Amino acid sequence: MTAILPAPATAPARHAPVSRRKRWRYLPQYLAIAPFFLLFAVFGIYPVLYSLYLALQRWDGVGPMKFVGLENFRFLLSDATFWESIGNTLVIWVMSTVPMTVLALLIALGLNSSVRFKGVLRVAYFLPNVTSIVAMSLVFGSIFSSDFGILNWVLGLVGIDHVQWLTDPWAIRGAISIMIIWRWTGYNAIIFLAGLQALPPDVFEAARIDGAGPVQTFFRITLPLLRPVLLFSVVMSAISGMQIFTESQVLLGNRGGPDGAGLTMVLYFYNTAFADNDFGYGAAIAWGIFVVVVLFSILNWRLVQRPARGQVKETVR
Amino acid sequence: MTLTRRRFLTGAAALGAAAFGAAACTSPTTANPGRITLWYTSNGLSEQVLGEAVRRFAADKLTPSQVSGELKQRLLAALAGEAYLPDITMLGDDIATYFADTDHFVDLNTLGAAESKPEYLPWKWQAGASPDGFQLGFPVDVGPAALYYRHDLFAQAGLPSEPDDVAAAVPTWDDYFDFGVQAQKKLPGRYLITDTKTVFTYSLAQEPRKYFDRDNHYLDDQSQVRRAWDRAVKAFRLGLTAGYAGSQSQNGESIDRHAAWNSGKELSFVNASWISGELKQSAPATAGKWRVCRAPGGAGNQGGSFLAITKYCPDPHAAFEMVKWLQSPANQPQTYLELGLFPPSPSVYTDPRLLAPEPFFGGQVTMDVFSKTAREVQPVYFSPWDITISDTYTDALTTVESAGKDPEQAWNDARSSVERLLRRQGVLS
Repeated sequence: MTAILPAPATAPARHAPVSRRKRWRYLPQYLAIAPFFLLFAVFGIYPVLYSLYLALQRWDGVGPMKFVGLENFRFLLSDATFWESIGNTLVIWVMSTVPMTVLALLIALGLNSSVRFKGVLRVAYFLPNVTSIVAMSLVFGSIFSSDFGILNWVLGLVGIDHVQWLTDPWAIRGAISIMIIWRWTGYNAIIFLAGLQALPPDVFEAARIDGAGPVQTFFRITLPLLRPVLLFSVVMSAISGMQIFTESQVLLGNRGGPDGAGLTMVLYFYNTAFADNDFGYGAAIAWGIFVVVVLFSILNWRLVQRPARGQVKETVR
Repeated sequence: MTLTRRRFLTGAAALGAAAFGAAACTSPTTANPGRITLWYTSNGLSEQVLGEAVRRFAADKLTPSQVSGELKQRLLAALAGEAYLPDITMLGDDIATYFADTDHFVDLNTLGAAESKPEYLPWKWQAGASPDGFQLGFPVDVGPAALYYRHDLFAQAGLPSEPDDVAAAVPTWDDYFDFGVQAQKKLPGRYLITDTKTVFTYSLAQEPRKYFDRDNHYLDDQSQVRRAWDRAVKAFRLGLTAGYAGSQSQNGESIDRHAAWNSGKELSFVNASWISGELKQSAPATAGKWRVCRAPGGAGNQGGSFLAITKYCPDPHAAFEMVKWLQSPANQPQTYLELGLFPPSPSVYTDPRLLAPEPFFGGQVTMDVFSKTAREVQPVYFSPWDITISDTYTDALTTVESAGKDPEQAWNDARSSVERLLRRQGVLS
């Protein structure tokens, strides 16, 4: 701790080298940072440790707990529903992140070229991100409604058959993805825009002098230079993608709809712990999610570390 | 500057410590010590009756507190922490999940509840008692099921349309399905059944046994479950179900279904009495066109709540007086008129206020239909695991209906996942 504090050499003679006094010297600073650590201990570390303890118990939330050892984890490994929920989460993540990144990039490029009312557009694109997810899901519920929804009405106008958005397993995943895309595209577009505006203009000038067309400039210069920002957005969407919950829950209920198509990992955890009141197993699922997220982060990190340009495009796509 | 900052920090730290210390010292067992707190859900109790109760029990300081969101989550948290507990709390029809933990509650029999027993429907009273006779819940409302149908459209298609005629035409589920096939020929593109889930749920509600016996033994012979399942599958195969289950939110609301009520696409449906409020609210333009009659297959009940007293209540006798008064036969009509919560006391069924013709149902006295059903409901044991098991079966049915899964495969999968679940919970070995 002392190592990162200013070296004592700057004020050699002001304090007597009494270690007791020295220890108390920094008390105000420690007190100043204490609230965070206290709160973190109470609301962070304690629940984490308690959930680990809980994962070894069978508990309905009211009566006495019963120690079952690793039984919950053993059950988790052979729990087809859990594996399906992992699959659903990943599928929904891919289905949402890919179009979202492309869309956001297009919007950012559009905003970056001189358009009028840039400020207004930026606010407009950010708006979906700050809208309450519950309110949004209710609105989307009526949009996706299969017989009387707006979306199917529009599809009907174009001559496409009704899609059973909330009952067909793949349409469900699509519907959830659309909600995620709607929510995060603007957010990422703003981030991309910031990245675009930070790019050095002389590089583009040099490319233009060398005779590069707009498409060439985009793929050879803009995209590689934008790589750190793109990676940031992919990592952020991976983090939020692993936590998809509210969209599914409000749209389809606690059990994730027909065939459990919208049952994400977090929704499965919520349903087990708080709807079925199986807190022990719920805690075990939470730890299962933790492991999946760790593995997914390692994978992401490996992809991010690749320096080659070809790999960058692959990550983006 | 240095001095003021340090002083500020020390002061802030002291304040923080004081706040933590204060929180640690004051952890009351009940939510409002010195008062009798009543937790209830939104639309769970009549506001007017509660208002009168607060005046009447002013000496005991009755404090009703409407819990927003899930009352159960809050109650479990309070019970687990043994802090901020209500003295009286509402419990849902999943009351059986508390039977293993009755040590947190007061046995209403010790407060003289037996005297009130004859005033209530016997099956409802029994549903509030654990298998070993601990009277946990005091009846609030019941949910007798009926067949709701569009009188005007039935008449237009030349089908029986008066309540007695319709009831006579569909005494059993099979008759109802035949009737549905006939109706669909005359009124193509419309449905008589919401989804496979409602067929399963209401069919099982008519059985005298569900999944467990009263000693909490899993009924290995699930012929009654299979019967409900087969009915649901049959309705689906005949093309009678609209498949709205998938679009139902956790509250059971469905945009498609509401729209189908308005457009006349849903010609009829079996549901509990409490749906009439939602029907009136969602399809006001169809007022006067609906009727109710006895449900096919017999009398069944779905839903209904209870009031319970926690053992942390300092004055359970006073609390019981309040519960008894709130849910007295004299106050039940008001609750029914205000919220549509069906009274659990048969004596109320002859109250002139409840026998008034209902304009929404074309001037029909719906109480005649519901009260007859309520009286006929058979007592059935509802185990702590019933809701999860039911959900597993209805999920599987929805998969058959919406995702085209093979019904036999779905049945086997549902059954084995139920057994797996029960094994994990230590119910089955």
